[in-house]
Amino acid sequence: MPATATVEQPTPDVEATFELARNHFGHVPNLVRVLASNPTMCASVTAFFAQALRDGRVDWAFKELVILKTLRAIKAYYSYGAHERLAIDLGNSAERVGDLANSLWRTSPHYTDAERAVFALVEQIGIDANAVGDDVWDELKRHWDAGQLIELNALITTFVMIGRTGDALGVADPNLFSRSVS
Amino acid sequence: MAQLPYVEPEDADAVTAQIYNSAEQRFQMVLNIFKITGHAPEMAEKMWQIFFDILQDGQVDWPTKELLILKSTKMGDCLYCVTQHEVVAERLGVSPEKQADIVGVEYRHSPHYTEAERAILDLTSHVVLDPEQIPSDVWARVHEHYDDGQIVEIVATIGAYLQVSKFGDALGVELEAVFHGHQPVLFAKEPPSSKAAQQHFEHFLANTPSA
Repeated sequence: MPATATVEQPTPDVEATFELARNHFGHVPNLVRVLASNPTMCASVTAFFAQALRDGRVDWAFKELVILKTLRAIKAYYSYGAHERLAIDLGNSAERVGDLANSLWRTSPHYTDAERAVFALVEQIGIDANAVGDDVWDELKRHWDAGQLIELNALITTFVMIGRTGDALGVADPNLFSRSVS
Repeated sequence: MAQLPYVEPEDADAVTAQIYNSAEQRFQMVLNIFKITGHAPEMAEKMWQIFFDILQDGQVDWPTKELLILKSTKMGDCLYCVTQHEVVAERLGVSPEKQADIVGVEYRHSPHYTEAERAILDLTSHVVLDPEQIPSDVWARVHEHYDDGQIVEIVATIGAYLQVSKFGDALGVELEAVFHGHQPVLFAKEPPSSKAAQQHFEHFLANTPSA
């Protein structure tokens, strides 16, 4: 049970946000319906959320692995199952999803060095964002450009927000996308 | 040194320039954390809109949101956020005495806080520490004082500040020189818990003239 109301009939001031959600996700996710009690925050949080879940400077398939690793690292599991299915639908193997666990990603043959560098950043942000060492950034900068690194850091921290907000408000979204993503 | 260069206004593309203009109008300066996002304008535009929405009176008044920001970023050991928001909170009328009582659970007994504020500060601790298991009595106290639209704004504010604090800290975004003379309130009362944050704080104090 969510902590606040789930808006089924949008008021005029959230209709545009529901429309954006329908176009992007195929339907209006429950998180968006719960945020809709506050049309202003619903609009900006939904827009940021939707911007993260698409191909960008970094491809969406890998971004889903980063999201899963982030939710694990911060121990907030809002829509974890939906992201697992999305990761597979976008072309990741079961091994690439499963090996994210614990420290398995460090030795798994299913990731590139570039991908491992990002998981190291995620883990360190989960432990203490103040202590991300130069070694972590040096490795990241070997593989990714500045625009990609801002996108990745924004993605990781967006899911710090989305994971905690969804969990705190008690929202469940078994599926985020009802449209085809592949 | 931050891990990536700041994109200065003269090098910004059209989208980034628009963000910088909005930031300057709202905060009288373009903070370093805005400048570092200039490398990915399409993300920056969406990310900063959330903060432009939060940093004003909404369904919850701005000073109340500053309490949530101070509490969540203090718990996250974010010197950059806490320092800036101590300044903002004081400008909005939140006295340093009231600010200081936000650490730990001091606010529960402090005469500076209302029952409504105590309820949402307790909620903040739970959202930061374990959002999967927020006790029902905490929610009951929050619902006594705030309606659903306000609660969404409260939780979104906490979540957004956990986001931006980790975003900036991971990149090593530096406090702007203009804040260097600020006398710290929250971290003076309770030092940072992590060793790395403690080092940032000591470096900051070395740049701060004593009162």
